[in-house]
Amino acid sequence: MEFEPKILGIACNWCTYTGADLAGTTRLQYPQNLRVVRVMCSSRINPSFIFRAFQLGADGVLVGGCHPGDCHYNTGNLYARRRLAVTRKILEFAGIEPGRFRVEWISASEGNKFAEVVREFTEQVKNLGPQTKFKIK
Amino acid sequence: MSINFKQIEDKLKTEARKLLEEGKVSIVLAYGKGYDEKKPMPYVVRKTSDIENIVFNEYCTANMARYLVRYPRGTKIAIAVKPADSRAVVQLIQEEKVKREDLIVLGIPVYGMKNFKTGETIDSKTTCGIYNPVLYDILLGEEVHGQPVVSPYDVLVDYEKMDKDGRWTFWKKELDRCIRCYACRKACPMCYCDPCFIDQNKPKWGEKSPESQGNLMYHLTRFHHLAGRCIDCGECSRACPVDIPLYLFHKKVAKECEEMFGQAAGMKIEDKPALVNFRVEDSDKILE
Repeated sequence: MEFEPKILGIACNWCTYTGADLAGTTRLQYPQNLRVVRVMCSSRINPSFIFRAFQLGADGVLVGGCHPGDCHYNTGNLYARRRLAVTRKILEFAGIEPGRFRVEWISASEGNKFAEVVREFTEQVKNLGPQTKFKIK
Repeated sequence: MSINFKQIEDKLKTEARKLLEEGKVSIVLAYGKGYDEKKPMPYVVRKTSDIENIVFNEYCTANMARYLVRYPRGTKIAIAVKPADSRAVVQLIQEEKVKREDLIVLGIPVYGMKNFKTGETIDSKTTCGIYNPVLYDILLGEEVHGQPVVSPYDVLVDYEKMDKDGRWTFWKKELDRCIRCYACRKACPMCYCDPCFIDQNKPKWGEKSPESQGNLMYHLTRFHHLAGRCIDCGECSRACPVDIPLYLFHKKVAKECEEMFGQAAGMKIEDKPALVNFRVEDSDKILE
């Protein structure tokens, strides 16, 4: 059987989640590997969410937020950008494939981009195979 | 030029006596006698009669800034700091954990401290490699000049060359040995959260038993929490009973933060810590 990755999506309420909604209402097809969690802002994301997701068996984590400058709370995603950049460097230096973690800025009108990103990311994680390094046995 | 430890000790005693007698401070944080010469202990001086117990020798590696956050706000404290420790004081002031006006910083320009476990000299390999405190009110001794200037990040070169699997094997091997004594957390001047994320049950952030996956969660999150704040004193790795080279990871994160955000932790009082700050012109490239 083909490996179907589990992907956690953490989406900001105002842009990416609405974008995903748009992708749904325009009936765009995208892989069903993504489980979306809605947060109010990308800066709500505690880096431990990402580590913990990997521990509990996620094969990839996709974080979506508003484009920098478009944040509903003006500056939230600018903090998130710095924070998630550090998360990425830490995963990389620990030897965990950085390809399993991705941050994308997707606005509410970009349903197409959302579907495209999910397709691409799922393919990428599929190629990386199951995530075993972090997972609790 | 070499460091005269005895002279620094005498100066430390004189200054501590003066400050306590004048009533400028109620607490002096310094080093005191331990079991033997090699094991001096962090020492809190409250009375002038305690002053004779103060020592300062090359084994006084502990970072006294660790103890600053224990006292209620407004307590007047004098603190003896070595160069790396002074950065911790600056960082704590930036984070508003202590107030500049409550502190009297006794700076000690020093190098060539020794690790009491191995007897090795502590240099820029395990610490930030600066010779003079970045912040002080009273300088004990003379400023050090003419020592070789070395980058604290040189030691990373070999580890950055390793490939992904090499790094994974290395860190897995190192972190698997962790016995979760939390000495790294106790020794760290920047680890002051109460409760620590790993002690929380609701939500439970990580496994609490010393097993490989849980260790990974604890340490990676700790590295993340210290990103842009670690002042590279190397005290975590010296406190570690199983000698995990935690300083390597901290150095790596500090280096990345310095490259991405253009500031090192604890150098200027007026800076804001890198991760609670942003610039609109930060590039999206840092996420790739």
